Amino acid sequence: MSEPRDGIRPGLTRRDFVGRGVALGGLLIPGTSLAAFLSACESGHPVQETARTSAQLPVNVPRDKTLVIDQIFRYSVTKNFNMYSPTTPSPTRHGLVMDTLWYIDQQTGQWINALASDKPAYNADFTQMTVTLRSGVAWSDGVPFSADDLAFTVQTLMASPGLIWSSDMQVNVKGIAKQDERTVVFTLKKPNPRFHLYFTSAYNAMYMMAKHVWEKAADPRTFPNFPPVSLGAYTFQDVDPNGYWELYKRRDDWQKTTAGMVAQNPGPDYVLTLFYGDDQHKVIAMKQHALDVLIDLNTEAFQTLRKGTSSVSSWYNDFPWAYPNELNVRFFGFNQTRAPYDNRDVRWALALALDLVSLQTNYEGGVTRVTPFQVPAVPSLIGKYHLPLESWLQQLSIDVDGQAYKPYDADVPKRIGSWAKASGHNVSDSISQLHQLFGIGWWKHAPDMATKLLTKNGFKKDGSGKWQLPDGKPWAMTIIAAPDEADAYRLALGAQDQWKKFGIDVTVQSLERDPFNQRQYVGDFDVTSTWGALAPTAIADLWQGLNPFHSRYFAPIGQSTQAQGSNNWMRFRSPELDRVIDQLTGTSPDNAAALDLSQQAVKIWTEQMLTLPTVSFKKFVTTDSTWWTGWPKSDHADRQPLYWFMGGRFAVQKVVPAK
Amino acid sequence: MRLLVSYVFPRLLQWAVVIVVGVTVAFAVPRLSPTQPVDQMLGRMSGMTATDPAAVASLRSAIIAMYGLQGTPLEQYGRFWQHLLRGDLGPSLTAFPTPVTEMIWQALPWTIGLLGISTILSWLLGLALGTLSAYRPHALWSRLLANGMVTIYPIPYFILALVLVLVFAYYVPLFPLVGGASGPPGLSLDYLGSIVWHAFLPALSLVLVLTAFRFLVARALASGVLSSDAVTFAETAGIPRRRIVSRYVMRNSMLPQITDLGLQIGAMFEGALITEVAFSYPGIGYRLFTAILQSDYNLILGVTLFSVVGIATAALLIDFAYPLFDPRVRYQ
Repeated sequence: MSEPRDGIRPGLTRRDFVGRGVALGGLLIPGTSLAAFLSACESGHPVQETARTSAQLPVNVPRDKTLVIDQIFRYSVTKNFNMYSPTTPSPTRHGLVMDTLWYIDQQTGQWINALASDKPAYNADFTQMTVTLRSGVAWSDGVPFSADDLAFTVQTLMASPGLIWSSDMQVNVKGIAKQDERTVVFTLKKPNPRFHLYFTSAYNAMYMMAKHVWEKAADPRTFPNFPPVSLGAYTFQDVDPNGYWELYKRRDDWQKTTAGMVAQNPGPDYVLTLFYGDDQHKVIAMKQHALDVLIDLNTEAFQTLRKGTSSVSSWYNDFPWAYPNELNVRFFGFNQTRAPYDNRDVRWALALALDLVSLQTNYEGGVTRVTPFQVPAVPSLIGKYHLPLESWLQQLSIDVDGQAYKPYDADVPKRIGSWAKASGHNVSDSISQLHQLFGIGWWKHAPDMATKLLTKNGFKKDGSGKWQLPDGKPWAMTIIAAPDEADAYRLALGAQDQWKKFGIDVTVQSLERDPFNQRQYVGDFDVTSTWGALAPTAIADLWQGLNPFHSRYFAPIGQSTQAQGSNNWMRFRSPELDRVIDQLTGTSPDNAAALDLSQQAVKIWTEQMLTLPTVSFKKFVTTDSTWWTGWPKSDHADRQPLYWFMGGRFAVQKVVPAK
Repeated sequence: MRLLVSYVFPRLLQWAVVIVVGVTVAFAVPRLSPTQPVDQMLGRMSGMTATDPAAVASLRSAIIAMYGLQGTPLEQYGRFWQHLLRGDLGPSLTAFPTPVTEMIWQALPWTIGLLGISTILSWLLGLALGTLSAYRPHALWSRLLANGMVTIYPIPYFILALVLVLVFAYYVPLFPLVGGASGPPGLSLDYLGSIVWHAFLPALSLVLVLTAFRFLVARALASGVLSSDAVTFAETAGIPRRRIVSRYVMRNSMLPQITDLGLQIGAMFEGALITEVAFSYPGIGYRLFTAILQSDYNLILGVTLFSVVGIATAALLIDFAYPLFDPRVRYQ
């Protein structure tokens, strides 16, 4: 037996102490972990288990009555449905339980009256907007939706700085008055023919508050709104405390919701949103039929999923598969406060030095539509911009060494079509089909003309064929790109290869998403491979996309564009564009002049090469038809398949059981 | 008393200084990064909904005030300590208004449960098997075990995790793809069983790699002890081999491993990011990762505080406890 040592009481030996300590620790760690697990796991309402549950799903729900949706990301916090707070997750959730006045379908451009029964009515000088509400709509607790809710929502937001839309309402609204149970009149501080856009969902729009719930909130900024009283066709049912899933149950009175009224279909009994994680997990889950719809995959993952799983498809059943109609555009942005990117000729030279057919095929797999405009080449807009302006594109010329050079190449879609055929894909020769699949044309691949443009501006090549700036220094260019945005990143790598081949020393700097954004906001880049469109909604009027590029919102280098509310990371100032935006500001979006002015803006943008758009967005929105069918596809493209948008509620509502 | 003044109090002071310095660095570093959380938030919002640029500036000021980010960094630092001393780490900037402490307490049990059990289990397994293998280096089982561990050890962890997911969640779908548990939480056997079911694959992956490492270290250390005069003398004195291994070889070779175990347990508060991502398993690692990506200053600081306190405290306890494990150590 050992002698007692320092600090240990007599009678308890060193070995006894260590032995008992280890034993106690062995009990304490699993014990406290288990206790903590349980204390961290408060639940909502348990769901009855049935014989037809799926072993791979984390909740016991009847699989044949449950639509399983890719949750996109894992929620940091659960049990918070204050969706006016800037950090509360909105994808999918807002379509299931929230509602707004109007929607514009991203696929068709169709205007959908939701909580409002008609379009907004303005007075002559656009200082008043009258809204007539739909009758027969009820909250999930049975209280009818009324004009009081709309007026309360706007007044509450105006009094709650920091919430989404609060500042917009303060800037725009002078007063709001309820005329009767179904009619509300907004009085505006200044003429605004587009005030209704705050209530018209592209991705989302002002969610309505249940007055009878929110009026009890001490501080609307911290009110959790949990469990939410729903205005959608679904009510919240249960949640994973770790944020991996949420379960919703269809309302018995779904016909008293606008989703039910518009879609005229009950939809699945349950909707389970489930975060699987990366592409690998999603592919496994869908192959196991434990996931019915997912937002996107990279091309290779989609091909892996498609092969051997006949129930799986994206927008097209065959090449190019992916959904091409999300309203966004990939583009290269040039920092126009930095030489030489402040020079229009240099920007044109960089455009002509690119071979977009090679970029679109070798780097993008041929599955996107090209666009020479900062407007996505989608069905609702091709007919308003791309096709009507193609003759203008064909006549467009730039001055190269004193001679007019026409840079437009209408054969781009044909060449992509040829590549697709050579790759074994079945593609029609019809030009309208090629336009539909690959867009209209783009700029010619003309390195000789690019060379002339640069030489004209004092650039020279050194002995090794590398370009030197007019001051004799080597031309080194850095493209910033975020690898998690796969298409933008691949385009950056492709441009790097091609511009290097042209003689520029190009480096791609890979950044995580937020540092990438911040570098754009403060103007810390030469060239950015990024995304954004002048058409955030599927309507002809581009004011909403153009306005943040007005020179009055210009942010100098080092100052964040976000502080100005601007998207002008490129930091250009165009007096011609400003004039058009000013004219457009006072023009109603329903006026034919709005389209004309928007087309003028697009022409100015393109001539000045303010940005270099390349391709429209594509997403492998993929569905598995084992349990559910009825998702919009290319052969019945009657609505958007973008289920995570607020307007995705109608797609969810329309799915039907496969068995 | 002399021990308290000459060793314990200075060591406690050192512990406190380490924590204050660590937390101060954790406070400063995110603020030195170019990423501004409110700008990121506004960027996400303006990309989604109709906003008037004229309204954005006032919204930005309102959010900065709402999140407590107003004032100079020094003023923010002062406010941070005032709140910390009241046990308040502030709200998460990416899950406002949820308190950071709530987010940490929600994630931490999963990490402690997974890492605590797999760390201790692998430590015991590695130590015992490594020592036995060193004592019987030529036995068939010993050679097979050593070759197996040498094969597992250099495999990159994410590859091992990927293989386990593919084999046991896809080809032979015995285990779930995602989450920490299934069904309604509670004290039911179903729910407790589901916790074990969900944790099995991630725990297996950790036990495999940690045991391999521990085995190789234990084997090397035990080999050194085996060649010592004490062991030769014990064998000459006819002490049974089992007793030599358990009483002399294992105990002497485990001393440096105790230090390592203590630090490893302290570092648990950092989480196991790759495990959490590869197995879609909850825990503090992923929470810290997303906080860093989104510049959630308060959450970064909260997790770092736990981590700094965990490691500093583990080191402190090891220092205090070492005489218990090694009677040759004295604080004189």
